Amino acid sequence: MSWAAHQFEIYAVQAHLPQKMKGKVSFWAIFLGDFTPDFLSKFWVYGFTINGTRYGSDVPHQWHRGFPGMGFTHTLFFGVILTLLIWSWRKNRAFTIGYLLGFAAHALTDINDSVGVMLFFPFLMLNFTSETWAYAATVDGGKYLDAAAYYSSLGLVMDLFWLIVVLISWRVLTREHWRTQIVPADARIWAWFGRWLPERGLLALYRATFFYGLCRMISWSAWARFFAEPGTYGEYDVTSRGFPMDLSWTGPSWLDARSLPHVNPWLAYPAALMLLAIVYVVIIRLWEPMGRREAKALAPRSRSRNGTHDGSGVQADA
Amino acid sequence: MASDPDVDQSSPSPDTVDFRGSRRLVGAEEWFWYVAAAVTYIGLGIWHKWLLNWFIGPAWLIAFIVVGPWVTDRLGMTGRSRSVADTARSDRETPR
Repeated sequence: MSWAAHQFEIYAVQAHLPQKMKGKVSFWAIFLGDFTPDFLSKFWVYGFTINGTRYGSDVPHQWHRGFPGMGFTHTLFFGVILTLLIWSWRKNRAFTIGYLLGFAAHALTDINDSVGVMLFFPFLMLNFTSETWAYAATVDGGKYLDAAAYYSSLGLVMDLFWLIVVLISWRVLTREHWRTQIVPADARIWAWFGRWLPERGLLALYRATFFYGLCRMISWSAWARFFAEPGTYGEYDVTSRGFPMDLSWTGPSWLDARSLPHVNPWLAYPAALMLLAIVYVVIIRLWEPMGRREAKALAPRSRSRNGTHDGSGVQADA
Repeated sequence: MASDPDVDQSSPSPDTVDFRGSRRLVGAEEWFWYVAAAVTYIGLGIWHKWLLNWFIGPAWLIAFIVVGPWVTDRLGMTGRSRSVADTARSDRETPR
């Protein structure tokens, strides 16, 4: 699994929207789309303990990414179904497109660990994984061992990669970008938050996911490197304090990488890039037709409000 | 975002005040509050992992950015014993 990469990629997606969609795709939809796969599946991966009894999955990686299990939550097929439901419910192009982009970003990023995702579910039940780093969520190790393994492997490089992508597009974090590109696409949501927060709070709210990703990356990395006591999490042939860094493929080597039946790892990146390209082509092709459909759906609502626009940020040029 | 009609836009400069009459953060002061939030969150997060979650992380930042300047203004640490909004309000209410 990926950690802070999922926070950074939200801003990366926002910064690299097709030109005609800039300022018109919902940031909150990208956020929710990226959040959905783990929101639906992760609570049971690490589990929780109440009165000494552990509740959670016996085979976390099967639950998280397999089928049977909740692995379907990390598939584009499921993302498309949710996207269609959202579209049929509100006919909101900004939110629908944003949700699909966020969901796709999450699902495709997760091919990198040793378990991967079922990219072509339900047509092909095998996972696609590049085996870049070890999937390490276990019953005994829980979140701590998972974090230690991730931030001692190429997982950290993945987080840094996405951080650099965002920093290269640093304007996406500025007040000007927020005011001109983010707020117009989600006018009603920001207006709602504005009932309680001043502008500096709203801007902080926009930047909060980036802040959280950066801070958790540094905090978990520092803990794994300098403060963790590996003996607490099992029999590891490592130093007494701090897990050693291992940037080898499918590392770290001090941990057994979990996996599920999968296709040849060399197919993972081509398949993911192909699906990413398909998603972009589809949204570009659907952008104008969806805009016309949205305008048609909005017309009766606007008339019922004495001809006033409802402020959803719909552009007449759709 | 619509501006608040209750805020006098002519005094002080609208660039320094938002739609609620709250002070905007700019430049070094903005950096200070973001860095302060990050350093404290990272530092505490290393020792108290329960802080590192989706709710507390964003809430931590927002609390620093919203409450921090408000507190320092009230304590007179920034040379603003009253907020800009208060100034605007009192200026508006003063007979001319």
